[in-house]
Amino acid sequence: MSVLDFSPARRTAQIEQLTRPSLSYWQDAWIRLRKNVRAIISLYIIILLGIFTALGPVLWQVDPALQDLNQVSQPPSLPKTAILVGQYEPWKGIVIEDFPPEAIEYLEMVDAPMGLRTSDHPTTQRVRLIWNPVHGASGYNIYRNQRYPEDFNDLGLPLGGTFAGNEVSYEDRLSLESRSYYYSVVPTDGFDEYESFSVVEIIPRTSITLDEARSRGLLPEGKTIGEEVSLKFHPFGTDYLGRDIMARLMEGARVSLFIGIFAPLFYVLFGVIYGGFAGYFGGQIDALLMRFADFVVALPFLLFMILFKIAFGIGPGESGIVPMLIALVLLSWPSTARLVRGQVLKIREQGYIDAARLLGGRHHYLVLRHIIPNTIGVILVTLTFAVPFAIFTEAFLSFIGMGVAPPHPSWGSMCNEGVKTMLSHPHELIFPAVFISITVLAFNLLGDGLTEALDSRMRARE
Amino acid sequence: MRLTLTAYLLLFTIGCLGQVNATSVDFDSQSITIAFSEEPPQLNSMKATDSVSIDVLSHTMEGLARYDRRGQMVPGVADRWEIDDRTATFWLNKNAKWSDGVPVTAKDFVFAWRTALDPATASEYAFILYALKNAEVINKGELPPTALAVRALDDHTLEIELERPTAYFINLTAFASYFPIREEFYKKKGERYAADASDLIYNGAFMMTEWVHGASLKLVKNPHYWNKDSISLNAINVDYITADSRSQLNLFIDGKIVHTQLDGDTYKDALSQKFRIRRFTTGVIYFQEYNHRPGRITANKNVRKAIQHVFDPHEMVNRVLATPGNLPGESLFPVWLNGVKGKFRQEYPAPRAKIDVSLARKYLENAKTELGIKEIPPLVLLVGESPTATKNAEYMQGLLKSKLGLDIKIDKQTFKQRLAKMSSGDFDMVGAGWGPDYDDVMTFGDLYASWNLNNRGRYINPEYDRLVRVAMNSSVPQVRMDAMGEMQQILFDDAVLLPTSEQGIIYLIHPKLKGVTRRVIGADPDYTYARVVK
Repeated sequence: MSVLDFSPARRTAQIEQLTRPSLSYWQDAWIRLRKNVRAIISLYIIILLGIFTALGPVLWQVDPALQDLNQVSQPPSLPKTAILVGQYEPWKGIVIEDFPPEAIEYLEMVDAPMGLRTSDHPTTQRVRLIWNPVHGASGYNIYRNQRYPEDFNDLGLPLGGTFAGNEVSYEDRLSLESRSYYYSVVPTDGFDEYESFSVVEIIPRTSITLDEARSRGLLPEGKTIGEEVSLKFHPFGTDYLGRDIMARLMEGARVSLFIGIFAPLFYVLFGVIYGGFAGYFGGQIDALLMRFADFVVALPFLLFMILFKIAFGIGPGESGIVPMLIALVLLSWPSTARLVRGQVLKIREQGYIDAARLLGGRHHYLVLRHIIPNTIGVILVTLTFAVPFAIFTEAFLSFIGMGVAPPHPSWGSMCNEGVKTMLSHPHELIFPAVFISITVLAFNLLGDGLTEALDSRMRARE
Repeated sequence: MRLTLTAYLLLFTIGCLGQVNATSVDFDSQSITIAFSEEPPQLNSMKATDSVSIDVLSHTMEGLARYDRRGQMVPGVADRWEIDDRTATFWLNKNAKWSDGVPVTAKDFVFAWRTALDPATASEYAFILYALKNAEVINKGELPPTALAVRALDDHTLEIELERPTAYFINLTAFASYFPIREEFYKKKGERYAADASDLIYNGAFMMTEWVHGASLKLVKNPHYWNKDSISLNAINVDYITADSRSQLNLFIDGKIVHTQLDGDTYKDALSQKFRIRRFTTGVIYFQEYNHRPGRITANKNVRKAIQHVFDPHEMVNRVLATPGNLPGESLFPVWLNGVKGKFRQEYPAPRAKIDVSLARKYLENAKTELGIKEIPPLVLLVGESPTATKNAEYMQGLLKSKLGLDIKIDKQTFKQRLAKMSSGDFDMVGAGWGPDYDDVMTFGDLYASWNLNNRGRYINPEYDRLVRVAMNSSVPQVRMDAMGEMQQILFDDAVLLPTSEQGIIYLIHPKLKGVTRRVIGADPDYTYARVVK
């Protein structure tokens, strides 16, 4: 290596720069927020919810109030098919003329009924049982279980009975589903049961009547009784009246999100103006305004909700959403007002405010240029935390029956209905509950993210 | 730490011991434990209207006659009786005594009935005494109570004049309002009468010895009861007062109570616990009443006919109520009522409306023309607060909307508020129920008589009124039942009401407890003749 191998370095004008692109307040906050994974996921969830609410009903055109009693309380499942059957015709049943209707003598024990079977193909429209008469019986009781009865105490649901020894048939139409049923027939002396019974397993086929299929638009050309059609598909299952849960969640979201967004927007806005006014002017005005805020805090929300409902002439069976919105706005603003007032009081005393004032800044310049930008963090955070509060309040009020009017759902009222069948049909509670939880969680996490992103002290720490 | 653990262990042991001791049935002492849905609100037999009070009263008091297990009338305080169209005579059992050993006399009945009819008593059930001559005018305050045509000929003979032939008079005597009250005891207690266990005196199979208000009651066998030898139970402890069906089921599972009623939610648990489930038709009919007051949309017959032709009670019972025991409502008169020889509904089958949507729409079009309106405004359906009532109302709302395009507003109200709105006519349709007061078709039939205050929709039809009078004033079964059959037809043709279901319940009862009677009228469940087996 020689000297020739070296050449002088070119002299550049700028040697080293310690700058970064000039960022506005919002750009900076956005970058910070984007680094917060939880907050970003929450943001996407909120956007998705918005799409679900706004576009959902366009894509999933199912009437949320339409009842389908062929598919009551169905859990989420794949589309089902059903066999077409004719209009239900009452059944006279079977009475054996030459058999005594009442036992001639009282017997200690009688035989179990023989030949227990169905008289024709069992469908979910009806199951028709027949059996041979039992000597000594003056009637029969019919039970239905969903598993094989182990003993006399395990016969299952008492469906009904006949009141003569020669009435040897029973028709079951009680909320039949396509699954295994074990029917038991117990002979009676007309009053008490004998301790003998026989069991038969029956699996009814899912059925739909021709008229019903036609009125629901499920009937393709040329299909007739005995052929299969596919039933309406319910991806999230159905509720206790066979209504589509997905469609109801979409309609319910409108109410929940309407309250969840508009109530906080209005009351936070009012709270900011009120609190800002009090804080900026201070003194007597501040004291007066804040005492009034204290007074509002003391007002009971539920009582006002009821009063508003009456004052607005909201009759029975009408939606209580508007009075709910007004009650929320009128009674929830003091917390925001207090927060903003505190913030404004603090900022007002800062040096740069004094400097701006001394330089001749007017009130509106000071407020718009200096005070509001410095409180925006607090305001946004209050707003995001207010959203879940409002959603919960709506859910609670609908839960106690003060919110939406049936058949219109809200998430809260859906939970209220679902809770009644929580053990037997959990999906009716789980879906709306999950939607409430996710929404509230998303808004909370986004609020958290915003606090971090907008807080100037956090910025200084980096 | 060790001390705490010991304390816990001690508590645990005590808890376990407690559980072992507290069983719902006890063979040796022949005692049982039950739960009530609420504390009896009114144990004064003249004023009681609710089922819990009437249940307690029916165990502790006895009228002239009583229902046996199969619903037949058997001697109560009275040994025997003679009843014709105008008079009834009862000969009292000389052994019938009050719980302090004093004999029950005919005067006790005279006093009870006179007092109940006195307008000052303000008994809501006074009308049930109207079978007695002059009762109605006394109750209106136009005659003094002493004008009641009921006389105690001596201590053990009671002579009654009837206002009109009353075929079912003997059934009435088993009702709580007909129970005797001893005058000197009643006057001595004054305002306190029936306020506590010691403020009542009993002539029935049991007497109340303890009443901790809001917590428990205790009924023990009455040592002075004339028929005490046929009573097996020594004590009925009402240790729990809760209306919550799930708590009741848990108490039953824990062996703390002998009986619990199941609902759509709890019966699945009972099934998985392998309890023997029983079924009982309570005799209560549920129906939707219409408001017939002039000016109401529902006063139009075609509107009601349209609804009649889209509503299928079978679908309602099988798919909406979906618990066993309920029967489809097809008439105001339930299936269990007796007719001339057999069951009323077999002798006079209820007419059935064909489910026909196009026919229903035609009716609705006619209605719109008659009313001169283009669209039917939303109708208000007044219902109770229970989950079942709400569910039924929502079903009805969906049905009428999808089949007829009618908008329904559901008005949920508490029981009291609903009654107030029903009385003032502030509804278009209302979900109502009616349970029988006595074992005769008339207990349902006179519901739509124009003078009946329970005719909340104010349905007025002179022909119907005439038929009610015919049935009231006759004691010939054929004449009465024919009239009722015609009433059933009018109710259907005019679509006066929309029967929805006959209530059935399912319940659990302890397998070692035998002889509990479920009954349509009076105390239910009736433990009077129950016994604990080993």
